[in-house]
Amino acid sequence: MSILANKDTRVVIQGGQAGVNAARRMAEFCYLIKRPLNVEAFVYPPDAGKTNEIPYGSGLIAIPVYKTIAEATKNHPSINTSLVYIGADRAMKGGMEALDDAHIKVVSMITEGVPEKDAKLLGAHARKLGKVFNGPSSIGIISAGACRLGVIGGAFDNLVLSKLYREGSFGVITKSGGLSNEIIWICSQFADGITTAIGIGGDAYPGTDYVSYLEMFENDPQTKAVVIVGEMGGDLEERAAEWYGAKKRRVKLIAVVSGFCQESLPKGMKFGHAGAKEGMKGEGSARSKSDALKKAGALVPPTFGALGPAIKDTYEEWLKSGQVKAPVEPASLPKLPKTVEEAMKADEVMVAPLIRTTISDDRGDEPCYDGYPASELINKGYEIPHVIGLLWDKRLISKQEAEIIKRIMMLSADHGPCVSGAYATILAACAGIGLSQSVAAGMIMIGPRFGGAVTDAGRFFKYAVDNKMSVDEFLVYMKKNHGPVPGIGHRVKSLRNPDKRVKELVGYVKSLPIKTPCLDFALQVEQVTAAKKDNLILNVDGTMAAVLVDIGFPVDSLNGFFILSRTIGLIGHWVDQKRQESRLIRLFDYLVNYAAPKRREVPPLK
Amino acid sequence: MAKVLEGPGMGLMKKWGINVPNYVVVTSVDELTKLGQANEWLKKSKLVAKAHEALGSRFKLGLVKVDLDFKAAEAATKEMIGRQVGSITVTQVIVSEMIPHKEEYYCAVKSTREGSEILIANCGGIEVESNWERVKRLCLEVGQSPSAESLEKLSKEAGFAGPLAKKMADFAGKMFACFDNEDAQYLEVNPVVVRESDGELVALDAVTLLDGDAKFRHPDWNFAFAAEFGRAYSKNEMEVMAVDSKIKGSVKFIEIPGGDTAMLPAGGGASVYYSDAVVARGGKLANYAEYSGDPPDWAVEVLTEKVCSLPGIKNIIVGGAIANFTDVKKTFGGIINGFRKAKADGKMNNVKIWVRRGGPREKEGLDAMRALKDEGFDINVFDRNTPLTDIVDKALQK
Repeated sequence: MSILANKDTRVVIQGGQAGVNAARRMAEFCYLIKRPLNVEAFVYPPDAGKTNEIPYGSGLIAIPVYKTIAEATKNHPSINTSLVYIGADRAMKGGMEALDDAHIKVVSMITEGVPEKDAKLLGAHARKLGKVFNGPSSIGIISAGACRLGVIGGAFDNLVLSKLYREGSFGVITKSGGLSNEIIWICSQFADGITTAIGIGGDAYPGTDYVSYLEMFENDPQTKAVVIVGEMGGDLEERAAEWYGAKKRRVKLIAVVSGFCQESLPKGMKFGHAGAKEGMKGEGSARSKSDALKKAGALVPPTFGALGPAIKDTYEEWLKSGQVKAPVEPASLPKLPKTVEEAMKADEVMVAPLIRTTISDDRGDEPCYDGYPASELINKGYEIPHVIGLLWDKRLISKQEAEIIKRIMMLSADHGPCVSGAYATILAACAGIGLSQSVAAGMIMIGPRFGGAVTDAGRFFKYAVDNKMSVDEFLVYMKKNHGPVPGIGHRVKSLRNPDKRVKELVGYVKSLPIKTPCLDFALQVEQVTAAKKDNLILNVDGTMAAVLVDIGFPVDSLNGFFILSRTIGLIGHWVDQKRQESRLIRLFDYLVNYAAPKRREVPPLK
Repeated sequence: MAKVLEGPGMGLMKKWGINVPNYVVVTSVDELTKLGQANEWLKKSKLVAKAHEALGSRFKLGLVKVDLDFKAAEAATKEMIGRQVGSITVTQVIVSEMIPHKEEYYCAVKSTREGSEILIANCGGIEVESNWERVKRLCLEVGQSPSAESLEKLSKEAGFAGPLAKKMADFAGKMFACFDNEDAQYLEVNPVVVRESDGELVALDAVTLLDGDAKFRHPDWNFAFAAEFGRAYSKNEMEVMAVDSKIKGSVKFIEIPGGDTAMLPAGGGASVYYSDAVVARGGKLANYAEYSGDPPDWAVEVLTEKVCSLPGIKNIIVGGAIANFTDVKKTFGGIINGFRKAKADGKMNNVKIWVRRGGPREKEGLDAMRALKDEGFDINVFDRNTPLTDIVDKALQK
């Protein structure tokens, strides 16, 4: 048996994230004692209509969120208990709403910092209705083997260590949340554990005090003794003493009181909970409380440390007299499934990775590119081309190679508004499309006819050089197998109207003391093709491709140089249009050759 | 509970229709001189000057001067401002009008478990303390207001007769209205006096304790709460309070000069048991501290630095019960960082650290603490199997 919280307790939680966290802890306990989750609903207006996912074992349970208590109890008529996790400024309203619902018999308030007057009004209202209002500032209520309300009992491991999966013989009432757990632990180590433990909260005027709960424990045959953990201030302990001394009680009362240090502290210095404050004439001091409890016949160990042995003595007496039997421990207990991370940490599972990366890692305090921390690269004078080298080819390129890449990028960053990519971006920008989508529109244009020939050009020039082909052999091979040579030919540029970019890049690379077999081959190809047709020149794609292959970049990365460089221009065009507040554009009719059939009559549908 | 100094306390009473003497709160003589030019009463009435600080026994300390003319009030203000009493420097003086009177009475409203209690006596000043049986009470349930009849009955019971009985009942009614509407926990006027000029009751001195938790619904509480233990908060205490006001969970810190056992325990309940254990063992507390409700690690780190900076400490007690939801590893992480900083500042020489804790991620947290040994800390770490306050016994063993 237990009091207040039992196997029939069904819960609504009022509040947001704190309430969800509590529900998770409650689900862990339900799982341990092999019972269904006792949380039926949440009430939290901002999330009304949604569900909160509560892990239970290895699964997830969706618990609905309602706007009001009335909606929750209408849909879940078995709800009889509410836990209040809402902020101090709204806690009273929430608590009253729960108390006023006919289904709800127990309201436990976890909220801290609730105004004293509000707490008193809630307590008085509950008493008038014959209900229980527990708290505010309560850590919760737990009945071993039956029901957990709130986070009381702590982590799953602690629930097991404290044997909360089965009943013992001790009731526990504390103001402090941390100490409730400590006493539960002590009862499980020095004796057979608890029946029910209640946190009444450390405020000056808790809704329900020791006496009400002592009365309930007195009527619970399973509870043989009640441990109360008192503290200076107020008169709750004195009232408990009065209750205990009033007549012969079935339960044994064991109590400790804190606050003796007060006697040797500067006057008026206040410690601990809000309620821990001495009255003006020494009433409510630890000593007066302790004396009152002793006088009433309670067992009052001199210190907190002596509590364990006192509980042990009590329990062993009962065992001897046959009043209690040593509990039978279950053969096995459910283990809380570990998360994948936890299990991996414990070397219990091996997970086949979904993806594999060989270039970068950002799990530390900064990203590392091919193992090199970004900040160190910056501080040692490396630049963007080096980062490209690391991420695209996993090597630290030389200063000279970096300079070549930088020049390639500078030369191909933009090519005016008329080319396919820029035009598409501008069109999108004028249609009010955002930056990333407009740039993507431009990107889509990059392909075999515009900017996207770098990779293929590099591939074929490299093929020719690797296979020591002559220009003629190469041209025959291309014609037979692939068609026009990528990297050769330009829409407007020609021998007479050369592409300055090509000239610039070739000039620079040729001035360097490096070997450039691909570039040399490409230039030889140009000589042959341009002789056949004026505009079959080595274009900027082909030049870039040959140079990049010469400095060792993998063929598959080559288009990337154009994509990356041109992104600079595309972003520029979008920003430019945006800044001008350009309007939507469309083609003029006179720019279209309407070659479609003339207007005609639609035949009847057959 | 939050104590309010006399000035703002009287302001609240005035708001609810209680007669209070004219008063000004000043921070310099110049301010008083200027106010004297603007307020006729300062020049015309006899005045009282009091140090406006959270200090006990002000009379004995010479920080209350009565029966002053304006010049004398200026002199008294000059003398009081800047005076050092223990850790408190007097920064404010309240100058109020003296109310000539013959009789003194008593009226208070206090919070009780059921609701509140109105107390009145037809004696006042120090007389009421020695004649406590003359104080008559009216108990009220929370949500209930006293009726005019019940107040008059109380007034008569306390020995007030004739028109004064009605006046005292009215006065008590206003006190209750102030108490109830301002979320007070304790209001006391001693003495209540009959003003000779018009026969009205006036509150001459006010003790006001408000419920700090209700501040959210009192936007006009524009005053600071005073420390309740007869001294001002120290710089370190205020810094921890500033952190506390910003975080989820809480950190608390109060210095106790002269102690050698520093406290860094978790939880409002356990922390007091740890303090008790130190006192019971004959130790001298150097402070009170507490962190609870799963505060962020940086807040615990700040608290730790303050604890480590206490002068002359020999032991630090990092105690705690088995936490429900406070993450032991995280909060210990803050403590460890604080310890490291203190060590780097040379503050941890000959300081022994004693740790006992349980709760979520206790193993990781305790292991991290144990590892501090390798960094040269004198640290002893115990888990849940060592009873709560045994580390204090070990620390203070002679």
